[in-house]
Amino acid sequence: MADYEPKIVGFLCNWCTYAGADLAGTSRMQYPPNMRPIRVMCSGAVDSVYILRALLEGADGVFMGGCHPGDCHYVSGNYKARRRMVLFNSVMQSLGLESDRVWLRWISAAEGRKFADTITEMTEHLQKKGPSPFKEKWEV
Amino acid sequence: MKGTLKVDAKDPEGTIRGLFARWLKEDRLSAILTPAYSASGTATMALVSNPEKLAAAAPLMPAMGVNSASIVAEIARESSPNAKVGLFLRSCELRAVVELMKLKQVMPDSLVLIGVDCPGTYKAAGFRNVRGKDADFDNKHVREQLGFAGNVDFRMGCQMCEYPKPLVYDLNVGFIGLDPDKELWVEAATDKGKALLEGVEVNESEEPAGRKAALADLSAKRKAGTARRIEELDKAMLGPEKLAQYFSDCLNCHNCMNVCPVCYCRECFFDSDTFQRDISEHVRVSLRKGVTRMPSETLLFHLTRMNHMMTSCVQCGICEDSCPVTIGLATLFKKVSQNAQQAFEYVSGRSLEEPLPLTTFRETEFLKVGEE
Repeated sequence: MADYEPKIVGFLCNWCTYAGADLAGTSRMQYPPNMRPIRVMCSGAVDSVYILRALLEGADGVFMGGCHPGDCHYVSGNYKARRRMVLFNSVMQSLGLESDRVWLRWISAAEGRKFADTITEMTEHLQKKGPSPFKEKWEV
Repeated sequence: MKGTLKVDAKDPEGTIRGLFARWLKEDRLSAILTPAYSASGTATMALVSNPEKLAAAAPLMPAMGVNSASIVAEIARESSPNAKVGLFLRSCELRAVVELMKLKQVMPDSLVLIGVDCPGTYKAAGFRNVRGKDADFDNKHVREQLGFAGNVDFRMGCQMCEYPKPLVYDLNVGFIGLDPDKELWVEAATDKGKALLEGVEVNESEEPAGRKAALADLSAKRKAGTARRIEELDKAMLGPEKLAQYFSDCLNCHNCMNVCPVCYCRECFFDSDTFQRDISEHVRVSLRKGVTRMPSETLLFHLTRMNHMMTSCVQCGICEDSCPVTIGLATLFKKVSQNAQQAFEYVSGRSLEEPLPLTTFRETEFLKVGEE
């Protein structure tokens, strides 16, 4: 696929990563436009079903941005997201599916640079990896 | 308190019914949930309250139609200080009850958990034929213990079960590793259990070495069998290509979810409007790949169910028994749930104190997740 551009669905926590993305924008930092942001109230509020649905319907990657451990606006949402991620990775691995298409990263509202760098890194990673195996798979 | 209990007239099942009668007569229990024969001669459950009507109870019946934790969730949703119901259940059922208690779906105060050894069960459907006209089939089954580990006619979940003895119970009734024509093994783990044994003639003793060895042997053989089955499964299932094929016959009937003892939501969001699409949305989704499978999102359903339930899955395999297109769910869920629970050093149904993995956390764990 010569004209392959990875599509990333991003779930960004309202209290940190979403503001971090805003900061990256207002600071005019350049980063690839491959991520479609969806604002959520907490990384702990993102159920696995939304990640899975994005992947099965053809997203090449899913990005989740949450507050640094200890900084959750709701005290412990990010710790729960972290556990859910461990479970998610375990299930994916047991089934022989790639779990490196799903990234969870802690990015604060002050870390515009980190946000831009992370999205750049993830886009490059997925460019190297190639399109999701589910992209053309109609049977799922 | 633990020890052996003398069996009368080479009838272990009758001896257990005798205990039931005593508990009901003396009002130590107001009712007992026990396996029973259905009118057609296969497995069902009965809630017996009258000691005169115990003939229907078949406490040692080696067949299973539902994981009875589902029934417990139905009857013990609210706490009720007046009722005292004894649950005469197998290991996987009690493990599911424990998970449901932790999920706050079963209120423990009116229940007494009475476990029974279970070396494996047949599917309820077809059990009539397995049993034939042999009225003593259940006793024979517990008598002929040699076939337990390798019985390929057992439900797939049973063939892989490594916990023939329940893990959490107030009182356990055992026969594995004993001569059940002569004696049963009883073991009270709590005061509730001890209260049931009051006045019962128990020869107090340590657990016989033969019993311990028989249980360990059965467990080890099952584990080895499971490892073999998972190897086979991997050949048929690993990776996106094969996984899609593995589930490609799914009818979206949701039987696996409906019979699952631990899948506890009153309304599953797959049955709700959350994911409903109207016709133009379906067309829009179809345009993305050019063609979509119908019924849609069946793999999403299974993958999501795994993400939601695998830490509580008790690996009873009742999902596979209920699948109309015989998708090999028991082995798959065995593998996925074992790995998931290992990640949190958790075993479903092992203890009432251990918190559910997704309801707790430690600040200093899984430090790499989210960092790289």
